Amino acid sequence: MEMKKLLKDSKKVATQYTTWVTFVGLLLLLSILTNGQALRWGSIRNLLIAESVRSFAALGVGMIIITKGIDLSIGYVVCLTASVAASFAQNPDYSSAVYAGQSFPLIIPIVAAVAAGGLFGLFNGYLIAYGKLPPFIATLGSMSIAKGLQLIYTKAAVVGSLNQNFKNISQGSVGPVPNLIIYVAIAAFIVWILLKHTRQGTHFYAIGGNAQAARVSGINVERDLMMVYFYAGLLYGTAGTLLASRLGLANSLTANGMELDAIAAVTVGGVSQNGGVGKVSGMMVGVFTMGLINYGMSFLGVDSYYQQLVKGFIIIIAVYFDMKKYARRA
Amino acid sequence: MKKTVAILLVLALVCTGLFAQGGKEATDDTVKIGALIRNLNEQFVKDYADNLRKLAEENGVELNLQDAQGDVARQLDQLNTLITQGYKYFVIIPQDTSVTEQMAQQIQAVGGGAAFSNIQPSVDALKVGKDFYLASSPELVAGQYQAQIVDDYFTQYPEKAPGKVLNILYLQGQLGHPAQISREAGFIDTLESLGYTVNFVAKDTADWTPDKAQEKMDTWLAAHRGKFNLVVAQNDGMALGAVESLITNGLVDNDPSDGTILSFPVLGIDATADALNSMDQDKLYATVLQDSVGQSSTAFELAYAMATKGTAQGVTAWGIEPAKEVISEAPANDPAVISQCYLVPFKPITKENYKDLM
Repeated sequence: MEMKKLLKDSKKVATQYTTWVTFVGLLLLLSILTNGQALRWGSIRNLLIAESVRSFAALGVGMIIITKGIDLSIGYVVCLTASVAASFAQNPDYSSAVYAGQSFPLIIPIVAAVAAGGLFGLFNGYLIAYGKLPPFIATLGSMSIAKGLQLIYTKAAVVGSLNQNFKNISQGSVGPVPNLIIYVAIAAFIVWILLKHTRQGTHFYAIGGNAQAARVSGINVERDLMMVYFYAGLLYGTAGTLLASRLGLANSLTANGMELDAIAAVTVGGVSQNGGVGKVSGMMVGVFTMGLINYGMSFLGVDSYYQQLVKGFIIIIAVYFDMKKYARRA
Repeated sequence: MKKTVAILLVLALVCTGLFAQGGKEATDDTVKIGALIRNLNEQFVKDYADNLRKLAEENGVELNLQDAQGDVARQLDQLNTLITQGYKYFVIIPQDTSVTEQMAQQIQAVGGGAAFSNIQPSVDALKVGKDFYLASSPELVAGQYQAQIVDDYFTQYPEKAPGKVLNILYLQGQLGHPAQISREAGFIDTLESLGYTVNFVAKDTADWTPDKAQEKMDTWLAAHRGKFNLVVAQNDGMALGAVESLITNGLVDNDPSDGTILSFPVLGIDATADALNSMDQDKLYATVLQDSVGQSSTAFELAYAMATKGTAQGVTAWGIEPAKEVISEAPANDPAVISQCYLVPFKPITKENYKDLM
């Protein structure tokens, strides 16, 4: 009897906290496979740094998916904003600089990149909220526009030789804690406040759950939808800035494919593709779960070709269980 | 809520257990070398990696080879991973010149060293420490060899370039890539010094890839048919894309007496197996050998010397001695780091010698 109850209870916990259970399971698995080697502080620190920029993308697209939207433009928007940031942070004596011979105050690259991200967000949001385009198509279009703009702006060249002050934004640290990890914590906190403790946040869930009902209950669905893409755009702009700063360059390959990583991460983190469901904690655990998979395979020396395969299967399995969970409820 | 707390506790417990356990280090004395490779989807890079694996096996070295899949961020993460795993000596094909200094600093911080191939490290990267090396081929030379092959061809068939005017369709690698810049400079300078008028009918990037090159060529052939007499690509992949395009567009004279059945000679760089096959079928006219075996062997021997002797300063690697005189191309243009530069020669590959490589 006791046993039965325990089993039932643990089953309940497992379904309720699939995300956490997966994460802990993977941690355990990796520690066994590497005799604990993979999970020293140095390694955890690497993992956190590696996933930091993706966290911003995940927080953005996580909010969007809560409203039952999707964003395919992430990778190229981050690529564009990284290039914009980098172009204003090049050493003035670098002959192939976008603005050769000029140096800008540190605030310029940051503002320019975040603004570029925000503009793209507004553009996406307007098309989806007021233009009534399906999010998939609208962001597919803006993905290509972002890529085109990036190539035109940089003339397809590498934007390199960035000044040290700009690089310190991402490469610096406060004591033993890398700056990047602090930025992620701040961003996650802000998004958590927004989703959990503001009226607009509850609107996002309402719209994702049932847009029609939300409208009837007096929510300005169009405005809120536009804003969610705008907020995401600001996060992508920040991601671009931090990425350029971390790498010390930006080129047309920067952040390519980040949309898939981010969407996969939040899905693994329990943000439902059906809309209306998802938590910031889940998004972050999702990001670090995917990171752990990448990191673990890299640590164990798994061939890069197989890494792609494993990642693909994990995404499919996560969505499959997600669909099943909510199909039952409906 | 209770359950969340419980789960967090379990998590914390698991983590502390793991951290505590992590203190133990493997203490065997196998030589460990890390390899950070920018993209295994490229033929040259794959050949380079295959040779590294072979050398590691022959020498009983534990080689951990990581593929960055074209992503700078991933390459930096992989470096971090290998450093925490205790790797100190590296063979690196960097994703981009701009990150080499940062990589060198991280390796220097753990008292290690690295040999860079294929994508040139910056002068500053080599200045980070004495045990950072260039084991690569100066890209200028590849362009110069292409120019010489062009000169040989038109000296033999002067009627194909009246007035020594070259009207060229030119396919570039990724813009801003050091190889793209230097190969082009070497090519143009040499031809001009040989008395040619160099006229680019069309010039654009195809990002090193055959499919993009073929698309570009298809468009150019529609626009510039009859206005050019030479096709040059900055690597073999793109050259083969161009060859396909010429064939599908019917620009074939089926006369192999000049070395190619195409109406115009097409040149590449790298001497990949595919390129040699194409030369064997009288399609591709010529290429330049970027020696994947030479570069990887040199880099491997440098890393091996560091791992076994603590330093590789002044050693002869794969029969190559450190350079003594500066050349015009970075990083071997700086006298302060010239003794850290191992220049692996390029080699022009034409009808006369291509069979040696097959």
